[in-house]
Amino acid sequence: MNNAQQTARVGLFFLLGLALTWVTWETLSGGKLFREKGYNLIAGFDSIKEVKTGDEVRMAGVKIGSVETTRLAHGRAEAVLRIDTGIVVKSDATATIAMAGLIGTNYISIDLGSANAPALADNAEIRTRVTPDINTIMAELGNLGQKLEGALGSFGAAMNGDGKPGGGLFQKLDRLVTDNSEKINTTLTNLQEVSAKLNRGEGTLGKLINDPSLHDQLLATVGDIRTAASDAKTFMANASSIVDQVKSGKGPLGTLVYDDKAAADLKSTVANLKSVSDKLASGQGTLGKLINDDTMYNSAQATLKKADRALDGLGDSGPITAVGIVANSLF
Amino acid sequence: MKQLTAILEGIGSTLQLLARSAAHVGTLPRQRARFIEQCYLIGYTTLPIVAILSFFIGSVLALQAGYSMQNFGAKQFIGSLVGLSLARELGPVMVAILVAGRVGSAIAAELASMKVYQEVDALETMNIPPARILVLPRLAAILFMMPVLAIIADLVGWFGGALVSNYVNFIGIDSEAYFAALRRYMHFKDVMNGLIKAEIFGFVVVLVCCNIGLNTRGGPREIGASVTRAVVTSLILILVLDYFVTKALL
Amino acid sequence: MPSCSPTRNPFTAEETPAVAVSFEGLSKSFGDHVVLKDITFNVEPGEIFVLMGPSGSGKSVLLKHIVGLEAPTSGRVLLDGHDAADEEVRAQIRIGLVFQAGALFNSLTVYDNLALYLREHRLSTEPKIREKVMHALKILSLENTAAKFPSELSGGMKKRVAIARALVMEPQLLLYDEPTSELDPVMSATISEIIAALKDEYHVTSIVVSHDRDLARSIADRVGILMDGKLMHLGPPSTLQNPSDPRLKDFLNPKIDLKNPRFKKLET
Ligand SMILES: Nc1ncnc2c1ncn2[C@@H]1O[C@H](COP(=O)(O)OP(=O)(O)OP(=O)(O)O)[C@@H](O)[C@H]1O
Ligand SMILES: [Mg+2]
Repeated sequence: MNNAQQTARVGLFFLLGLALTWVTWETLSGGKLFREKGYNLIAGFDSIKEVKTGDEVRMAGVKIGSVETTRLAHGRAEAVLRIDTGIVVKSDATATIAMAGLIGTNYISIDLGSANAPALADNAEIRTRVTPDINTIMAELGNLGQKLEGALGSFGAAMNGDGKPGGGLFQKLDRLVTDNSEKINTTLTNLQEVSAKLNRGEGTLGKLINDPSLHDQLLATVGDIRTAASDAKTFMANASSIVDQVKSGKGPLGTLVYDDKAAADLKSTVANLKSVSDKLASGQGTLGKLINDDTMYNSAQATLKKADRALDGLGDSGPITAVGIVANSLF
Repeated sequence: MKQLTAILEGIGSTLQLLARSAAHVGTLPRQRARFIEQCYLIGYTTLPIVAILSFFIGSVLALQAGYSMQNFGAKQFIGSLVGLSLARELGPVMVAILVAGRVGSAIAAELASMKVYQEVDALETMNIPPARILVLPRLAAILFMMPVLAIIADLVGWFGGALVSNYVNFIGIDSEAYFAALRRYMHFKDVMNGLIKAEIFGFVVVLVCCNIGLNTRGGPREIGASVTRAVVTSLILILVLDYFVTKALL
Repeated sequence: MPSCSPTRNPFTAEETPAVAVSFEGLSKSFGDHVVLKDITFNVEPGEIFVLMGPSGSGKSVLLKHIVGLEAPTSGRVLLDGHDAADEEVRAQIRIGLVFQAGALFNSLTVYDNLALYLREHRLSTEPKIREKVMHALKILSLENTAAKFPSELSGGMKKRVAIARALVMEPQLLLYDEPTSELDPVMSATISEIIAALKDEYHVTSIVVSHDRDLARSIADRVGILMDGKLMHLGPPSTLQNPSDPRLKDFLNPKIDLKNPRFKKLET
């Protein structure tokens, strides 16, 4: 073999080595070579836990991309998500860190979001939520709560379409509750009696349903309470100073909200009655089941207990959350 | 005691040879032709055996991993297992062993016969240091060729593993999943790690084989003995060094 | 230091001084085996010194001391007054050694064997090297072997290549280890002529280990005879005619006695 040929072969061989090293580097160090086409979303977390570059991003369980890089920025941990082209992530979709298996493989889970929300653009920030590590059930619960909150929100908006100023609302609410306190108390007592009877398995509820006057009275009360509750909700979301007032236990509403038992009772009653009336109005037999079926009763009781626990545990996290959690636990 | 002094002598003369070769680094550009020739012999002609061996080592790794992992559902990690073990350990060690057997033995035989047939003496009377024209081009060549051989071994081994994972019934991991797993649990530094190891092994093997060859005294029988000693010493050094280099690089 | 009469190199116009070699109480033993015992003599600059002696008497070992391939057990070898064991000294003086076995580089062609020294020391440009190499090959009737490898040559051809390789080095001191032992009579005569010419024209110091009595008689300035590790005889070739020592006599003029062979004598 002549020298030139040998030199050429050695040169080629060496270049091959360089090329292969480069390919390996590109592949393993997130170079551009094997990057899927698509766009980036930024997800900020307090901690990204076990998530690292190359981990999957899934939407409703379907792989839609991967974690392009992880970094510390803006005082938090950020994961840059590479989303495949053609996949639309809604602006109200939420990213969470989920676990794929017991050995700690993580992925970023994005929920579907609502159908009519706008899509996120390239380099947009996606909403995130912290989830306890293994407790996917909690995440599910959270989702439900969010949906409920949404529903309540729209409901409240419908009820207060005219939009009154905040201070007046509180006064109105306060007055309303003061004026009706007797009525509410009676109602509560009655309802407690009703539920007590229900607990004992007596057919009182049937009577209650069949007695038109009682029924009407109840419905009116429920309506009042609901208005009050939703007003309070709207207001509280806006006026923290007044919330503080409430927090310090002044006024009947303060008492109402801060008396765990009363609040729980009230809320449970409201909630129960809402469903009762809904179901009744639509003619469904759920109530019948509720009355006759022990398992339903048991679960209802369990739910009440849960609500109690939730309220106890929440402490100072604020009435809104308290209401939310109560509602979450109930539904 | 005698053995111990022999070992110490070996270490000493090897280091001396290294120093003497290093002193001539400046002559490398002039020795381009010799360097290219050694690259050809050390790298290019070793490629086929490296490719064949690494392919089957990758395949067997995947097979064994698939077999033992099927019982606890960790088959999806075959890619990372094959990838990591080849890149960090088996690739460099295997290439180094092949180089010891194929290149080291040839070097020891050639230099030993040059020594025995007085060619080395002739060089010395000509004031041409053997370290300069016999050792230095080989050391330079192995430094350039070893990473190439090692990276080829890695990649061919990975593909061997991918093929087995794909086509062996009880494993059935498709290539995409295999390489996804490989990529997920590997960084380039793992590969780099292996390349550094290969570089060190290759360099030591060539240096030791040169030294043993040049220190041959006697006739044809001693040439054979030198080759055996060179290969055995290389293999031992590879495995001993492997431990320490691995530890140092962890 | 011996006087340095200017010499002209056979292949360049450069003038280089001839080298004196002196052995001062040189002894060498391999383990218990004493090969050289307290050897002392001088080789003058520009002299042709022929060293003779029975096989195994240590002639090759003696030559190796001059080029530093063997280290003395005691005593020393001086090149122009400097210790030959010193690498620096040897680097200053061009010494050509024609090995007894040739010691050609088997992986290089004949041409490259000859060109190696010049190339490695960057003494000439490639066309000049070609000129010199082809000239040396031509002198020794080797023009056709330039592209061959040593393994493709006969024993005598290898010897000639070895001589050519030493000549191309343009040495100040040339050491020949049995240059004519494998050559036909004509080629032997040629070698003798080359050695003499190098002395006459270029004043090169030559030490020739040889059993060739014709060579010794015709070109040697002085002859030394090594026996049992000692220098038994030292003098001009004419002194070899009538040696007094019976062992010397037998060595120089062995009678082939078929009736009473030497090996039979040993048996008794
Ligand atoms: N490297 C060595 N190790 C041990 N003994 C050696 C070595 N080299 C030479 N000898 C011994 O030294 C003695 C002289 O050897 P040398 O080669 O000088 O002989 P010589 O005079 O050149 O013989 P010949 O005319 O046959 O070439 C021999 O007895 C040989 O056995
Ligand atoms: Mg000899």
